[in-house]
Amino acid sequence: MSTESIAAQVKESFASHTPLRIAGGGYWLDAGRPVRAEKTLSLRSETGVTAYVPADLTITVRAGTTLAEIAAATRERNQWLPLDPYGTIDGSIGATIATASAGPLASSFGLPRDLVLGLEFVNGRGEIVRAGGKVVKNVAGFDLSRLLTGSWGSLGVITEITLRLYALPEVDRTFAVELRGSEKQIASILRAILAVPMSPYAFQLVGVSIARALHLGEAPVGLIRFAGNSAVVTAQAAALAQIANCDEAESSKWVDLRQLDGDSHTSLRISSLPQRVVGTAARILGDDVPGVFTSIDPRRGVIRVVAGAAGAAHASTEFAAGVEPSDASQLVFEKLPAELWPAVSPSVVSDPLSQGIKKAFDPANILNPGILGDIN
Amino acid sequence: MTQPAATRAESSPFAYPPDLAGRLAEIVGAQHVLGRPSELLVYNSDGLPGYRRQPRLAVFPGTREEAIAVVRLLAEEKVPFVPRGAGTGLSGGALADDIVVLGVHRLKKIISVDVENRRAIVEPGVVNLKLNRHVAAHGLLYAPDPSSESACTIGGNVAENAGGPHCLKYGVTLNHVLAITVLLPSGEIVELGSGVGERDGYDLRGSFIGSEGCFGLALDVTVKLTPKPQAVRTILADFMSVNQAAQVTSAVIASGIVPAALEFMDGPTIRVVEDSIYAAGYPRDAEAILLIELDGLEAGVAADLETVRRICTEGGARDVRVARDEAERMKLWQGRKKAFGAMGRLAPHLIVQDAVIPRTKLPEILDIIHAISEKHRVVVCNVFHAGDGNLHPNIAYSADDPAESERVHRAMKEIMQACIAAGGSITGEHGVGLDKMGYMESIFPETSLNAMCELRSVFDPERRSNPGKVVPIHSCREWQALPASRRAERETPPLEAEPSRPVA
Repeated sequence: MSTESIAAQVKESFASHTPLRIAGGGYWLDAGRPVRAEKTLSLRSETGVTAYVPADLTITVRAGTTLAEIAAATRERNQWLPLDPYGTIDGSIGATIATASAGPLASSFGLPRDLVLGLEFVNGRGEIVRAGGKVVKNVAGFDLSRLLTGSWGSLGVITEITLRLYALPEVDRTFAVELRGSEKQIASILRAILAVPMSPYAFQLVGVSIARALHLGEAPVGLIRFAGNSAVVTAQAAALAQIANCDEAESSKWVDLRQLDGDSHTSLRISSLPQRVVGTAARILGDDVPGVFTSIDPRRGVIRVVAGAAGAAHASTEFAAGVEPSDASQLVFEKLPAELWPAVSPSVVSDPLSQGIKKAFDPANILNPGILGDIN
Repeated sequence: MTQPAATRAESSPFAYPPDLAGRLAEIVGAQHVLGRPSELLVYNSDGLPGYRRQPRLAVFPGTREEAIAVVRLLAEEKVPFVPRGAGTGLSGGALADDIVVLGVHRLKKIISVDVENRRAIVEPGVVNLKLNRHVAAHGLLYAPDPSSESACTIGGNVAENAGGPHCLKYGVTLNHVLAITVLLPSGEIVELGSGVGERDGYDLRGSFIGSEGCFGLALDVTVKLTPKPQAVRTILADFMSVNQAAQVTSAVIASGIVPAALEFMDGPTIRVVEDSIYAAGYPRDAEAILLIELDGLEAGVAADLETVRRICTEGGARDVRVARDEAERMKLWQGRKKAFGAMGRLAPHLIVQDAVIPRTKLPEILDIIHAISEKHRVVVCNVFHAGDGNLHPNIAYSADDPAESERVHRAMKEIMQACIAAGGSITGEHGVGLDKMGYMESIFPETSLNAMCELRSVFDPERRSNPGKVVPIHSCREWQALPASRRAERETPPLEAEPSRPVA
């Protein structure tokens, strides 16, 4: 398949008003609101590296290329794409970018839209549109690539993406800090860690259920990843050891953590001011509900709750119901049982600007209709 | 070559309501509305020489409420306007051709600073460096640092998605703005992004940043603040060949080290800076220097410093010097940041060009630029953000000399074409504005330009905010659909000037 043939399919659907379900690897089709489409447009066969210039630290790939394939291609040149969304590494880059899915590395390397330099997509009329470019800095024209990133396939079918790469760090080590004690004690350990001038690649606090699943014990744990030249890693590890009891952990824990999302029925995140999240971290992480995985990115101010089993979905949505979206936080759902969507979050694109954008890019409303909610 | 401003009034498609100035004065006070041509002279250009456009009126609201009332009055009367910060822009983006200039420089309150969560809310007229000075006491900084930081405003930075030397490591304005309260051209107020968490839905905040004043006016901006690095080292490496310096740039980037900044200055630039009051102690006889700054944790910086030193030496650097103290560091930086000012010594006018190329193409493009400058007998001074391939080939000239202006114009056009051919972009941080509009069709297909037009129409259906900029109107589907007889009244042809064409 090629972009032209995808464009032809969309054009046909536009003419016949046939809604399309856009799918990348097909691993995450139950995420987002129910899509009202019978027909699926899969990008699974759209794989491969179109251009890779290691010395420029940029790569252009087809949208169906998996994160694992990108990792393999770049590792050969001692580089990587520091983008680690939750879920399987067999997920496609297209889906990752379309859903703006990020993981623990986001607090250091930014959100997916910060790593996208440009992309090619097919809009709802079946036209091929290019956004951004292939260089690391670019302000030519209005920014369409950020708009497409996180639009969940509802503004265009992303066919090709140019991304910014980084060199693999010389040293990459992970440490686990056991978070035992009273809520007050835990909060003060966290504040102490955050106050020290350190720049970990990732810092994630995980609740009891995750600690148990990752074989890290029976208490909440802080997982912290130091990377860079060996001097900077050693210095940071020493600084951490002064504040808290910590043990070195295998770096595979990060992959294990992401993969806990595998069969989840529900996942949501609450983001707020970092200091506020740190204040409530101990209480949230201490809640030990079987099947409910809770983690916190204290630097990004994001709490993530994932319910692994059907029964636990109920518990986590109850938890979410208790957190009203307010001035003080943002509540974002990724996955929910279908029947809960209308009650919990009917739409995030019902404001006039989002409506206008959707109508301009997909006038017949054929691309993933309903996935972000109704437009009016 | 001048566009006669006076004739624009008659041909203007916008019918001006009677006594607009008086009604604006009722909102902001008579002293904050300018209408006489002599008063408006200051506002008839921005940082880009060669273009002059005479505004009809200029209005300067002093409070948020006044700004809202002004925009609502303009909306009611369907009057087009151009939002303007400090007017330091380099793409002609702030020019107002017989329409209203809406200056935000009086909206300069730093509304709040949240030290714990490292963010601040500011009005659009706050000067970049003022914000930095304000938060410095808390060990924080606002990372984007355009060379015009001592004058340019946060509102203007948001409109242009401004960069600066340190965006190599820290990212551009986009990466440091969390939320914006936007006053749409219709007078409605919308909150884009969120200062207290991450929203889902379309990234409207990301769309607004870099929209060059075409999507409305920012009423307040929530910015992210960055802790000051524990350690900073600034390295000056000098070379006897431009090519060596370009190769070393690539080698540093490829090593995996992300310097805070990696700046390049060529021989002509070095000498003009050294001749000026901004003399920084650069070696006058060098053909190129690299200014490389490393920052972060003390231990890491020390190790990276040795790696960079080795790469420079192996790459043919004649000398590699590390600033011994803060005073020396500031001096090295002043020479770089004031280089454009120093070029004023060469000739009365200066074109600061802006283009981006893939970093590996640097040696090749610098050779091409050199050949172009010889061919057209112009002096190009290269001073730029080498680390991210963001070129600034500058030409000092006299816009009063038509023959010289013509040569400059040709040289610039060829330089831009070479950058496009190398797979680059027509602008890395200065924006398209008026100056680069003619190049948009050479880097984007019609469908992309169309999508941009449509995005703009969502924010500003009447296209009254900064009309005639960024995307040529003939690329818009809506305009193409109009019958030919009606196109003439909708397009604003005099604004589509030749790219980079110096106008005496």
